[in-house]
Amino acid sequence: MRMRTFALATIAAFAAANLAVPALARDTVTFGYQLPLTGDTAQYGQDFRKAAEIALEEFNKGDKPFTVSIVFEDSRSDAKEGVNIARKFVDDRRIVGVLGDFTSTVSMAAAQVYKNEGMPQLSQTASHPDYTKISEWQFRNIATQAQESPFNAAWMAGSGIKTVAVIAEQTDWGQSVVNTFAAAAREKGLNIIFQENFNRGLKDFRSVISKIQRANPDAIYTGFFYEDGAQFLKQVHQMGIRTPVYSTSAAYSPKLLELAGEAANGLRLTSNFLPNSPDPDVRHFVEEWKARSNGAEPGQFPAQAYDAVRIMIAAAERAHPDVTRRSLRDELAKTTDFPGVTGKTTFDADREPQKVLAKVEVTGGQFVPAGE
Amino acid sequence: MIDPYYLQQLAIGLSLGMTYALMAIGFTLIFGVLNVVNFAHGEVYTIGAFAGLVAITAFAPPFLAVLFLALAAGAAAGFSLERIAFRPFRRFTDEASLKSRAMRESTLLSSLAVSIVVREALEIVFGSEMQPLPFEYMINAPVQAGPVTLATGDLIIFGVAAAMLAGLQYMLKRTRIGLSIRAVSNNPLGARYVGINTDRTIVMTFVVGSTMGAAAGILVGLYYGAIFPAMGFIPGVKAFVAMVMGGLSSIPGAVISALILGVSESMATTFLASGWADMVAYGFLILTLVFFPSGLFGAGRERV
Repeated sequence: MRMRTFALATIAAFAAANLAVPALARDTVTFGYQLPLTGDTAQYGQDFRKAAEIALEEFNKGDKPFTVSIVFEDSRSDAKEGVNIARKFVDDRRIVGVLGDFTSTVSMAAAQVYKNEGMPQLSQTASHPDYTKISEWQFRNIATQAQESPFNAAWMAGSGIKTVAVIAEQTDWGQSVVNTFAAAAREKGLNIIFQENFNRGLKDFRSVISKIQRANPDAIYTGFFYEDGAQFLKQVHQMGIRTPVYSTSAAYSPKLLELAGEAANGLRLTSNFLPNSPDPDVRHFVEEWKARSNGAEPGQFPAQAYDAVRIMIAAAERAHPDVTRRSLRDELAKTTDFPGVTGKTTFDADREPQKVLAKVEVTGGQFVPAGE
Repeated sequence: MIDPYYLQQLAIGLSLGMTYALMAIGFTLIFGVLNVVNFAHGEVYTIGAFAGLVAITAFAPPFLAVLFLALAAGAAAGFSLERIAFRPFRRFTDEASLKSRAMRESTLLSSLAVSIVVREALEIVFGSEMQPLPFEYMINAPVQAGPVTLATGDLIIFGVAAAMLAGLQYMLKRTRIGLSIRAVSNNPLGARYVGINTDRTIVMTFVVGSTMGAAAGILVGLYYGAIFPAMGFIPGVKAFVAMVMGGLSSIPGAVISALILGVSESMATTFLASGWADMVAYGFLILTLVFFPSGLFGAGRERV
């Protein structure tokens, strides 16, 4: 009899504990954010954190039925570290959804953990085609190369370009640039006469540039981020080469202009975020960003991070009061026409966002919408 | 007539080799004296570049003043580095400690620790991204030499490297401090017995070597327009390879090896994807270690 009382008491205690969990979840919904805060790519992670904090502050200030908190973990853009963080997030029962990582490589490594344990993951930048194919738990808020490459190939073909040299960084992402562009170029009748990958952080591109010059293409298509981009453009300029250079939205950053100066003029690329757009939502984000960054303008990546956090919060709002990993995933998948600073976002059946891309050209040291 | 393409690649290779040589000179000098790798040399290079950058953004001084400020920062960095990472391991002056490999090799780790602390501190202060530079300070204006395009920086770096090499040779062979550096590098214990102030000599070596490292940092930084906290790592590795190829303690050997390295890398880009060009440096390191364990130019007995 005493035994039974004890058992009942235990059950009651457990029940109370279980009740306490949703009660707690009503107060705060917690997300994890894995991103590089130190190491070679720290500048990107620092920007993502800043963007996420703007989104958080806005939401928590508002009159909402719950507040949101984010646990930031530093992955150093290292796949092993990314997997460790993923395990940590999965073990933390408070965390119902994860943002990040920065690179496709780390996001995909961590995705294996999230797939097995059932945790929704939304990366603001992982654009490798295979990332969302990992499982139903992976989402992204960036146009993939599968979308950008045909767009750029059509742009080049429309400008009368026949032969193209393709060069991209030696990463999962860089290879997706080369592969998807090669396929798109074939379709549009462009001839790829040179194709090469370089190691990220290469300082001296001059050997490769002379090699490209010898192949004599009508245009150069590049897959790089702003640091490598600035080095490449400066050295192309230094060697007096006038071949037009095209790039992906990954190079779209005000820092590219700052680092490359006049060598950036004439660069053509795609983007889904224009900081000087008159849209009030964009204006608001740009103002908040400038206030926190000594007046510097945000690039496309922080804008994507800002939207990613808000998409996640919006999904949590729809799932509320029952915010679990499963319900959050289902609500994320239903995201339709989310009005963000990077355009309207809708996840299709493969959890790919459909982004509207704009053509941009660097003229007079500014990104300006390119004429047709 | 040679294909101008190869001439261009040769020019690029020599220019690349010069930037490695600039770094390798100071690196080899310090190794020659202590017989131990100074892992913080890459950070001295970074400190030189950042000192120049700070000077440029604060008072926009003329180019030569920037260079001298960077040199002064390098000298100070070398002095402090020796104090923090090397001197504590020489506090026992008995013969057993002086001859102990363990005492000497502990500085591998202490210098590595200093390098990590300095790099992370710079990241905290400046952020890890590339720092924007005013374009008028950059030394990459194109210079046309026949079919080959060079940059002003190539000529400046060549001039500075040549001056550094000549100056160093003069100092080592003709001055009293050079004589004591050579004595300490040959036999630290013997040098001490004949009354040479080995501590002061070692400090001098660090100051001179680090000044050269800092000069390399600011020049290469202004040449590529790329100054960021992790910038010292790759040149450090290349300088290390050049030093090993050159026979560990031969400065002219290290310079020649650095040039060979640069030219091989740029030439290799012609036949290999550029992603593989780094393999050339590491390949050379392995080949040298296997076939020329004492380096390509390290057969002589004379050190430094």
